[in-house]
Amino acid sequence: MNRRGGRGELLHVEGSMEADKYVYPPGVLGSEAAKALAEGKLTGIRCGEKLIVPPRPYCPDHSKGELVEVRGPWIVESFTIVYEDMYGNMLETPQVIAVLRHEDAEGSIVHFLKAEKPRVGMRTRPVFKSPEERNGTLGDILYFEPAEQASKK
Amino acid sequence: MRTAIVGIGWSGFRPSVPELSFTEMMYEAAVRAYEDAGVDARRDVDVFVSCQEDFWEGIAINDEFAPDPVGGVMRPTVTVAGDGLQCVGQAYMMIRSGLAELVAVEAHGKPSDVKTLQEIYELALDPQLRALKPGNPFFLAGLDAVAYMRRSGARREHFALVAVKNRRRGLRNPRASHAASIELKAVLNARPAIYPLTRHEIAGFTDAAISVVMASEQKARELRSEPIWLEGIWWSTEVGSGSVEWHEWGSMPSARLAAKEAYRQAGLKDPRRQTDFAEVEDRFSFMELLFLEELGMAPEGAHKLLESGYFDAEGSYPVNPSGGSLSLGTSFEATGLMRLLEAVLQLRGEAGGVQLRGAERAVVASWRGVPSYTSAVAVLGR
Repeated sequence: MNRRGGRGELLHVEGSMEADKYVYPPGVLGSEAAKALAEGKLTGIRCGEKLIVPPRPYCPDHSKGELVEVRGPWIVESFTIVYEDMYGNMLETPQVIAVLRHEDAEGSIVHFLKAEKPRVGMRTRPVFKSPEERNGTLGDILYFEPAEQASKK
Repeated sequence: MRTAIVGIGWSGFRPSVPELSFTEMMYEAAVRAYEDAGVDARRDVDVFVSCQEDFWEGIAINDEFAPDPVGGVMRPTVTVAGDGLQCVGQAYMMIRSGLAELVAVEAHGKPSDVKTLQEIYELALDPQLRALKPGNPFFLAGLDAVAYMRRSGARREHFALVAVKNRRRGLRNPRASHAASIELKAVLNARPAIYPLTRHEIAGFTDAAISVVMASEQKARELRSEPIWLEGIWWSTEVGSGSVEWHEWGSMPSARLAAKEAYRQAGLKDPRRQTDFAEVEDRFSFMELLFLEELGMAPEGAHKLLESGYFDAEGSYPVNPSGGSLSLGTSFEATGLMRLLEAVLQLRGEAGGVQLRGAERAVVASWRGVPSYTSAVAVLGR
């Protein structure tokens, strides 16, 4: 018999990894941030002179920070459009994803952008789900939309 | 005291290697490397280092599978969750410290075994970001590409040009199973995958295992008349996958720092003038240009040099003469060692159809891929 094995001689054992049930605790500060999100507020932490968005359990210099509400506008720092998944299947609707930065903050939010012509530098605002649908996750925000468009409504 | 690469071996380099298990591929690459170095692994190798990650094999505590296929049973074996080049860095430290004279490094990847590749990649994202279901975890590369265009002035045409250069070059390399004869127009007009990239600009996957034997200067001289010297190696992580929000978009600070320190170790002041070619990150076309800038190879702007043919195999400074990842594919944690393998063969004069003339020194630079912000850089010399 060939060392390599001929057609029909190879055996493949199928399996699956049982790794789909986990809890991911957001931590003490993360829980506060989650509650704020459920109330329709975005937060960051104040680390001395710096505003860090999104909030994290500690400051970049490893000191403790203070949770604060952060209002817009959120400026598009970069964006992309996802047309297909990793297997090469076209998505039903191309997804526009953007890096959204607050003028005064370090760090940014990565989320969906609903804009006909996305561009870097665009000013946006978040559009939230209805209060009863929120659960304190990033998914409480449906997407960001151009701030100009919002003011015309 | 110098550190050398005295043996190298590989297995696979096809999109799918259904006839071998990942441990058999590790074994095949390892015995070839030991034969190449002229060593008996069971007697001569002091420490074994394996770069791997549980989820890629679908086995928990997979480091327990590391020693046996490479000859490391009942011997010190270290497993590192990182790219293979990081393992080369571990071996470098062991040898430089005097703790070991001969170290065997391995990394492998068998993407064809993973039937839910996208879901595994998604598991590497922060749980909050993952829950948004962004459609393709490679979206992170799209965000970097647009930010890089904005920062550098490079256009989609430049990215496509990288894909044409590397995919065509690979046609001469028997290991490059994703090589293609392709024109610029075809790349640009292809169905968009992740803006601004088409599918020709995203590297495919390859099953591969690579083993490297490293030695102290004295040991190296006993084993080979012309070893390849590892003149410098460094790596760093910018922000973890769990905090992509902190990434410096359109840049790769981890590569910038790794290059600076690796050049310092190697005594390089002007890397482009003092080395002859580079094998660098290109799993997304634009990454080659971004990396060349972070490596200090293109103060004039990488896309401008690319346009003039500067980085072609026949140009002033060949970049990815092997065909790069766009031709060879990527193989999880083995990707960095794929670049190292190509550079070692090139310096030895064993690169066959992709051989350059008179190459004496090379830079090897690799990223750990989406969604990581870890990079490693090595300097090799004859």
